[in-house]
Amino acid sequence: MASTSNIVFYGTGRRKTAVARVYLKPGSGKIVINEKEYPSFKDYLKSEVLEIITNLPFTVTNTVNQFDIFCRVNGGGLEGQAGALQLGIARALLNFNENLRSPLRANNLLTRDPRMVERKKYGKKKARKSPQYSKR
Amino acid sequence: MRRRRAEVRKVLPDPVYHDELVTRFINKIMWDGKRSVAQKNFYNALEIVREKSGKEPLEVLKKAFENVAPVLEVKPRRVGGATYQVPVEVQEPRRTSLAVRWIVEAARSKKGRPISEKLAEEILNAYSNTGIAVKKREDVQKMAEANRAFAHYRW
Repeated sequence: MASTSNIVFYGTGRRKTAVARVYLKPGSGKIVINEKEYPSFKDYLKSEVLEIITNLPFTVTNTVNQFDIFCRVNGGGLEGQAGALQLGIARALLNFNENLRSPLRANNLLTRDPRMVERKKYGKKKARKSPQYSKR
Repeated sequence: MRRRRAEVRKVLPDPVYHDELVTRFINKIMWDGKRSVAQKNFYNALEIVREKSGKEPLEVLKKAFENVAPVLEVKPRRVGGATYQVPVEVQEPRRTSLAVRWIVEAARSKKGRPISEKLAEEILNAYSNTGIAVKKREDVQKMAEANRAFAHYRW
């Protein structure tokens, strides 16, 4: 745990089946994901597009590189984990400073994306795909 | 008889340029639901555009899009056994769809290079009002012009 210093801001984020627990500590932009250190989110997410997604909460609040990030993410794929991190970071920033609510809200960063995989139904191949029709 | 008008689906602005038009292109390029591949291809194409033109790729794209978007097209209509090609104005959602589709198809019709290069080339061509996609728009509008006589069959 990153609680050597006792000023840590915590936020949980979820997206699809991914869960991110994010601890922010005022610092210089160090990133630790699942006990491993990375130079940037890109090195964990392997995609520049996803990196933009995770960094958005910092960009809109002008707090890029002002925090050390310690987080645990599990479940889901990279896309879901990126979204979970985004929400987790946004909520942690809110813990840090309530005034950040309006910029975060304006960019829709505080809403849990409710879209989930639709369940498979019996009599169907997938959630909605019907088996091929065969006359006899 | 249609029960109700289909609801218009909005697309989210893309993460890099925050623009819905860019998302439309990415979705059009995408095969088999592979969005990240499509994103990579399209953003690379825009980077090539930036290099070659020295201008802001989003502006080039918008201009290219405007140059390809059709104003008039023809729709077949049956009147007393004969089918006429009636010219009609292209309404907004369809205009966008057609322009995006034509640009992507034009890029795909070229051969032997990565799709990002082909796209970049087509976007640049459309920007300067040349290229396959612009040609397509001209053909469609020419058809409309040629069938002007049937314009009064508009419904």
